[in-house]
Amino acid sequence: MKLRSLYIFHLDTGACNGCEIELFDILTPYYDAERLGVRLAASPRHSHAMAVTGPLTRQTYYAAKEAIKAMPPKPRIIVAIGTCACSGGIFYNGYPIYRRPESGREGQEYPRRGGIFELVQDLRDEGEYVGPVVYIPGCPPRPEEILYGVALALGLVEKQVKGEYYTEEVGFELPEYPLEERIRLSLRERLKYVVGYFDREKILEDFMELVKEARSAEELHRLIEEYCLKNPDPRVSLAMRVLEREFLRLKEKYGWEVKGNAKAPQSEVRGLQVSADRNAGSR
Amino acid sequence: MKEWARKITDDEVRERYVSEVVERFKDKIMRVERNASNQWIIEINREDLPEVVGYIINHPEWKETQLSTMVGADERPRRGKFSMIYWISINGESGDIFIGIKTYIPEDDPKFPAVTPVHPGANWYEREVKDLLGLVPEGHPDPRRLVLPDDWPEGVYPLRKDFHYTDSPKRDFTDETKYPYKEPPKGTAVFPLGPYHVALDEPGHFRLYVKGEEIVDVDYRLFYQHRGIEKIGENRLTYDQVNFIAERICGICGTAHALAYAQAIEAAGEIDVPERAEYIRTVMAEIERLHSHLLNLGLACHDVGFDKGFMDAFRLREHVMWLAERLTGNRKTYGMVVIGGVRRDFLEYRRSMIERVIRELKENFQKWVDQTLSTKTFVKRCEGIGILSYKDAKRWSTVGPFARGSGRDLDARRDHPFAAYKYLDFKVPIYKEGDVLARCLVRAEEILESIWIIEQALDEIPGGDILAEWREIPPYREAVGFTEAPRGEDVHYVITGEGNRLYRWRIRASTYNNFPALPDAMRGNTVADAVLIIASMDPCYSCTERVQVVDAKSGKVRVLTEKELTELSRKASRGV
Amino acid sequence: MAVTLKYPFVKLEAPPEYRGVPHINPRLCIGCGACVQACPADALLRIDDYEKGTRKIVLDVGRCIRCARCDEACPTGAIRMTRTFEVATLDRNDHIEVVELRLHRCPNCGNYTDYTERALEKALQILPEGPFDKDEIRKKAALCRNCRRRLTVDETIEASREVVE
Repeated sequence: MKLRSLYIFHLDTGACNGCEIELFDILTPYYDAERLGVRLAASPRHSHAMAVTGPLTRQTYYAAKEAIKAMPPKPRIIVAIGTCACSGGIFYNGYPIYRRPESGREGQEYPRRGGIFELVQDLRDEGEYVGPVVYIPGCPPRPEEILYGVALALGLVEKQVKGEYYTEEVGFELPEYPLEERIRLSLRERLKYVVGYFDREKILEDFMELVKEARSAEELHRLIEEYCLKNPDPRVSLAMRVLEREFLRLKEKYGWEVKGNAKAPQSEVRGLQVSADRNAGSR
Repeated sequence: MKEWARKITDDEVRERYVSEVVERFKDKIMRVERNASNQWIIEINREDLPEVVGYIINHPEWKETQLSTMVGADERPRRGKFSMIYWISINGESGDIFIGIKTYIPEDDPKFPAVTPVHPGANWYEREVKDLLGLVPEGHPDPRRLVLPDDWPEGVYPLRKDFHYTDSPKRDFTDETKYPYKEPPKGTAVFPLGPYHVALDEPGHFRLYVKGEEIVDVDYRLFYQHRGIEKIGENRLTYDQVNFIAERICGICGTAHALAYAQAIEAAGEIDVPERAEYIRTVMAEIERLHSHLLNLGLACHDVGFDKGFMDAFRLREHVMWLAERLTGNRKTYGMVVIGGVRRDFLEYRRSMIERVIRELKENFQKWVDQTLSTKTFVKRCEGIGILSYKDAKRWSTVGPFARGSGRDLDARRDHPFAAYKYLDFKVPIYKEGDVLARCLVRAEEILESIWIIEQALDEIPGGDILAEWREIPPYREAVGFTEAPRGEDVHYVITGEGNRLYRWRIRASTYNNFPALPDAMRGNTVADAVLIIASMDPCYSCTERVQVVDAKSGKVRVLTEKELTELSRKASRGV
Repeated sequence: MAVTLKYPFVKLEAPPEYRGVPHINPRLCIGCGACVQACPADALLRIDDYEKGTRKIVLDVGRCIRCARCDEACPTGAIRMTRTFEVATLDRNDHIEVVELRLHRCPNCGNYTDYTERALEKALQILPEGPFDKDEIRKKAALCRNCRRRLTVDETIEASREVVE
């Protein structure tokens, strides 16, 4: 049955409150769920759907069961908001978390079991009708994500995600880089300690471009200085200089030849010892 | 380091406290050990517990002593006994020290004399140790089950080492196993009603015993959200993975928990965090404080009926959430703190973004405060409500804005400087009235202080690495990590273990210390104010949903939902 | 002045720093299992089948807490956090991504080893030249552990015989 509006009752089965405050946020004017016809109901007896958060602890199991049974017999939609309600989340096999005996407590099954679906299966085994379950994963999901899930339940948008099964037929790619693989991996690891995992790929890419261009160590140095002048961000400059010294040191350590005359540092480069950085971050 | 920080972290100042305790109890003390720069462990026999702990907490001269946490651990594989340790901290800017009073309990005689008669703040800790480890506190005034679900069998103790973390034994959920509430005062009829989640809040059950409109007493049943996090952290996760589960203990103050845990491990493993990482951690903690306080102030306005303030506060808050999303990748659960530093850096464009948002927030928030404080409804409704006296606040070891509104002079950022706070200047607002308005004012001033702290930190942030390399952490080291979450002091205690895993991890969130003080704050107020008082304690989002109101005179029982209570609260505003 | 965003009726992109759901690029994955070890919520599984000789790396996006530890750990950059957040669905099977790879087979005894063919290729790529004879290494690395041990013992016995004689 196609619904034009959705009265939702919120049920918290042991959540950390992250998903609650995002649910609270979709009622504020920036996101405004009411224009989709969504309202919070005062009691399960007045609701079309139940918005569930939390990994279903044993203490809340009984009350949650009563709450779902108190809903009107149709449509009884369950909206599982957050990763904990979809599949138990990071807490999935703690001792006070409810899991059916069939799901086991440490499994290799997929799709991963846990969350509100355990209770839904129990209710269906007892003969109660429970409508479709909409899963909205996220930890916590953005308000836009929750809006999208609600719109999906109302039939206003199309589903976008699809399961995939890849085999060897897609082919194997072993990309070659301008640097030796061993050095590239070491530099990548070192950058994690200087600028963090998120920004390191771009900086490493730029560095490898410069290495490809350079024909000697002095030219590399000159190219890096040019790059730092063009790029005003002091953190990126620091990262490039750290890379340069590490690169020369590793080349020498593993016995690869370096054209030119730059002297490689003997000990491992730690960011704080590099002289450029004391003024790099502050005004 | 700033001068104020240097004064309280001076070793001479710290050792003075320890030597006084050792002087006083000479032969009762078996061992004194310094396990971190500001933590000492003093070992005694279990019979002397109430005396020693009582002496330190009720010392006439030491300022703002506080029972920070109490941990029971199963050390039978190592030493053949259970262990318990009471951590007491000194605050009031008079010395950065945590004193741990440790004692061992034999396996065949698992009991100890309760400290609760001497200091009521130990109430919940001793009940929890009884639930999870089976160590019985003798002389405890209220030994009911606290933490485990109602259908958990007696005699099975999850935190013992012979209990596997995924086991989940059951017993039937009948009338006998339901939670035993207190007997109501004379002249009431009560019927037990199961927990029922009506509103948009955490599950939890309250019972108010009333005479007409005035609240006479309160009883509650909580811990619906007990998820066994400590046991999971000890068994399934490695040191770095525990940061992520620590963040999800609470969705509103997650970074504070992850930070407290990381600091505990860094103290135990003697890992030096780079300076830049400390500044980044400070900025993230303050951004979290901003959004949490704005949330609470908005809810306070909503409960009073002043919806313009509520919507405005949330509009301001949304900008902080968007800022966090651009800095860390997610609006909440930032995933920034790992052991040894942080995971993402503040590149130049991100730093300018923070400065811009903070500047706009400062102007708009100042306008919001002026607007709210000149609204007579709001001020009159919050004045004189939910008063918690200084004596009560100290008796229950309360923390955070709840305590600072009652005149307690404590703040973990100033009294035990961690991360980059020792390089910054900031004030700690203290109000003496102890009512709801005082707590709101404390929070409003803290928002302005947070903005000032972020501005200073961004000005002075140094360069260098953001993550320290560490390989191995030696096993069986104990340490305490502490932060000031938006709701108060968060304390994590760890014992490191073998194989890159923890041996024992104890989480103590700030609401844990504040909640038992709630009945004292609510007595004498009307039912219409109940929601406001609970929201002012800020229990990680208001915990009231199903409240049972029992009229002592007529014997009638009404059940109010959260919506009805809020309506009552707003109606009362019309009479102001 | 209307502040409401018109989502979900217009397309909306998350900011560039957003941590969305992870995605495995099946052309780059070598089946090493570093992501499986790193995941705190056990959203990634490694299922080996020694009869058929396959290894499956399974990602369940509905269990993922989007912490990006797998992204940090992956040596080839196969699993990456995307900016996708529209993953709501009614069927949990839509959240599953499986990459099935072949396990390497020992050319000597015919048993399956516990690493994939691709992992072997990658390891040989990382190995620096210089002191190593790449072809010898390739021959030895292709053997399973037992055969390799036997070969080493045989070669040692050979070598010691030559010294004696």
